[in-house]
Amino acid sequence: MMTWQRLVAHKTGMLGLVIILLNVSVAFTAPWVATHDPLGMDILNRDAPPSMDHIFGTDDYGRDIFSRVVYGTRISLYISLLSVLVAMVCGIGIGAFSGYYRGWADTVIMRFMDALMSFPAILLAIGIMAVRGGHINNVVIALGVVYTPRFARIVRGSFLSLKEKEFVEAAVAGGNGDLVIIFRHILPNCMAPIIVQATVSLAYAILAEAALSFLGLGAPPPAPSWGNILSDARNFMLDAPWMTIFPGIAITFSVLGFNLLGDALRDVLDPRLK
Amino acid sequence: MVRYIIKRILYIIPTLFIVAFLIFFLVHLIPGDPALVILGEDASPENVKVVRETLGLDKPLYTQFVLWIGKVGMGDFGRSIFTKRPVIDDILERFPVTLVLTTLAMIFSLLIALPPGIYAAVHHNTRKDYTFMFCTILGVSIPGFWLGLMALLFFSVKLGWFPTIGFVPMWEDFFVGFRYMVLPSMTLGLFMAAVVARMIRSSMLEVLRLEYVTHARAKGLGEWKVIGKHALKNAFGPTLTTIGIQYGMLLGGAVITETVFSLPGLGKYLVLSIYSRDYPVVQGCILFFALTYMVINLVVDILYVYFDPRIVYE
Amino acid sequence: MDTVLSVENLKTYFYTREGVAKAVNGVDLHLDRGEILGVVGESGCGKSVTAFSILRLVPRPGRIVSGEIVLDDRDLLRLSPAEMRRIRGDRISMIFQEPMISLNPAFTIGDQLVEALRIHRNMNKTEARDHAVDMLRKVEIPSPERRFNEYPHQLSGGMSQRAMIAESLLLNPQVLIADEPTTALDVTIQAQVLDVMYRLTRDIGTAIMLITHNLGLVAESARRVMVMYAGRVIEEGPVKSIFENAKHPYTRGLLHSIPLPGRRRRQTDSRLFEIKGIVPSLFDLPPGCAFYPRCSECQDICRHEAPLRCEIDGQHQVFCWLYEPCRKGS
Repeated sequence: MMTWQRLVAHKTGMLGLVIILLNVSVAFTAPWVATHDPLGMDILNRDAPPSMDHIFGTDDYGRDIFSRVVYGTRISLYISLLSVLVAMVCGIGIGAFSGYYRGWADTVIMRFMDALMSFPAILLAIGIMAVRGGHINNVVIALGVVYTPRFARIVRGSFLSLKEKEFVEAAVAGGNGDLVIIFRHILPNCMAPIIVQATVSLAYAILAEAALSFLGLGAPPPAPSWGNILSDARNFMLDAPWMTIFPGIAITFSVLGFNLLGDALRDVLDPRLK
Repeated sequence: MVRYIIKRILYIIPTLFIVAFLIFFLVHLIPGDPALVILGEDASPENVKVVRETLGLDKPLYTQFVLWIGKVGMGDFGRSIFTKRPVIDDILERFPVTLVLTTLAMIFSLLIALPPGIYAAVHHNTRKDYTFMFCTILGVSIPGFWLGLMALLFFSVKLGWFPTIGFVPMWEDFFVGFRYMVLPSMTLGLFMAAVVARMIRSSMLEVLRLEYVTHARAKGLGEWKVIGKHALKNAFGPTLTTIGIQYGMLLGGAVITETVFSLPGLGKYLVLSIYSRDYPVVQGCILFFALTYMVINLVVDILYVYFDPRIVYE
Repeated sequence: MDTVLSVENLKTYFYTREGVAKAVNGVDLHLDRGEILGVVGESGCGKSVTAFSILRLVPRPGRIVSGEIVLDDRDLLRLSPAEMRRIRGDRISMIFQEPMISLNPAFTIGDQLVEALRIHRNMNKTEARDHAVDMLRKVEIPSPERRFNEYPHQLSGGMSQRAMIAESLLLNPQVLIADEPTTALDVTIQAQVLDVMYRLTRDIGTAIMLITHNLGLVAESARRVMVMYAGRVIEEGPVKSIFENAKHPYTRGLLHSIPLPGRRRRQTDSRLFEIKGIVPSLFDLPPGCAFYPRCSECQDICRHEAPLRCEIDGQHQVFCWLYEPCRKGS
């Protein structure tokens, strides 16, 4: 397929893909890559600078930062993938329904989506986390809710324009049921912007999760979420800067991967979106 | 034109209602009884009942909602459970800091985003363009709070250029206050700068292809004028919309930035009140943020007309 | 005759990833004071690129590779960018095909007209405004003072084009390049707009280079016509001479393909006439005559060598091996 070839030829996009694959493999092989138990405390060795034994040094509890960062990959990927999945499913469902059936249901639903989007994303996530409490799955729900409207908007927009096209008329004339038309005929043609939005949302989700944990509103400690590591490190920034440098680099690196890939996908699938 | 403005304002009102509804709904799902929080866990049931009545918590939810909305309409956001002061007072006391922070961040981001964005569009598909694109992607990948920490570490601690703790409002002492705001607003603005830079570049690319740009050159206008006046004015419209949307990210990011830099703004207040379960404050703050965001977008929509007069006639 | 613009051996190539497109491949033309020269040809034959080359506005990745463009004794290709800018809009003006998109939607009509005046002449705002309103009146735009403050999208197609004409003639240019000025307009409006254009240019003494694929337009108003094909001029001459006595097979084919009601046709000619084949790719031009693959009267030499100029009579010239003076040695 031409799109695949163009994607592979896109150098920065492939760099992004490599970074993502690296991330995913670290997440999978964490027990082997990590040098220590991420939760294991070695009080005698607290606040130690990077060394052969502790590549990124230790935190105030004596935990190995390198291992924590490695395991943190799991948390960030889990949360971002799941929350974007939730947002996609809900958003596509809502958007398809709204765009296909139109009418007052469409107006009401879209007003709701607009209202959700008029909250700054972080605030909405903070609010939801405050309600549900700190737990990894609550973060998934919170971020899922935050990103759903964006998918809904995109899908609805596509449906509005595609619904008028002839192939839809043909499908209706062929006696196909509504659900079949929605999912088998129209939806596959909207995939381009959805895929781009998904990749971008994955990037944002990683950032959002880190920010929430940093504020103490994300995955509860002692989980080695990158945000948590940074939050712990904050008080020791002056004396032990290594605690803050490495987790941040990890976050930037992961997000970069998704952003690079997202950009490449946008170029290849719909240059107009540039 | 006036009709356009009125239409935009009318559009916001139902959205505002839904937002208020969502906030109310959200906050009232927060586990824990506020009365118990105030009185303490061991309070007697009678006392709890009295406090609940005082707070109006015994009434059915929809009644509470209507009462709350009514009060909000009057400007009464309720009272903080802890400070006992009217929430609106606390909000108005802290909001200026957040406003200054976000405005400075926006100014800063425009300053560093516009020139490179335009430059990249003009030098499309050259190595300068590719470098630019990579920089912007990097810009949106760096977590704001981490950047803030790193900036503090480097510029305040290591170089000593900026103060690490404390705060002086800019309206009290402009230059000293400004020094306290530089690092926070720059770290806050970086993300937005990257997004705006890409937007202006893509807008400019579209516009530079259009006939009226060639026509402007054919008239004998210098290239600077063609780009800076004719192209830019048209390209700025979509960028303005992006700025409006990004302002939401600024407001959200302000929460984090204020926490990192310990600034006495609304964002930090919100986080603290979430920790302490001060619901009226949480409600009021989120509502206030949402309101601010909507007003900003309204202003953006109105300003848009200057850049693209066609929109009024749609 | 008094030649105001003369172009010699102009070559403009586009350097792309797919190769070099020779959009203009050795074009000569001249324009006399006050005359109307029609430039006709299919899409892609290089007429617009020639126009842009004259104004030195060829977009990247195109470049003027060689040639001379002389306006009143000055070779435009040797001017500095600043000097060239003074020529644009002042001595040579251009109007484009779609007026709706040629005027900047973010500025009023008045703004744009006044801008043209203030760049090239040292007028203050009031003078410029009066001048502009006066010009709007001359192009027969009703209520010019009101229109002055309006935005382009508030004007109809015909009015917009007239506003463009007004703007381009404000400074009494010597040459007006009109690139398909009426193609985007309703048929009923076309005549009005052309009328205004011809009237004003006659008053000022501006020569018009009328670029179009519409032979009818050329027949009506131009004095001379130039036919282009694949980046080269293949025939040129007085309109009457060309239309009645076209020499180049391509020109003949073009003229023949105009469907005219009542035109006498052979019994077998029930279908519209078309020239067989398609225009060659500009990346891959044949070494000889560019029309060779489609020519029904071609000879062997046509394949190898580009035809030379042959004079038919007086001004009528053609580039084709069919004609005697073209044989070598002439």
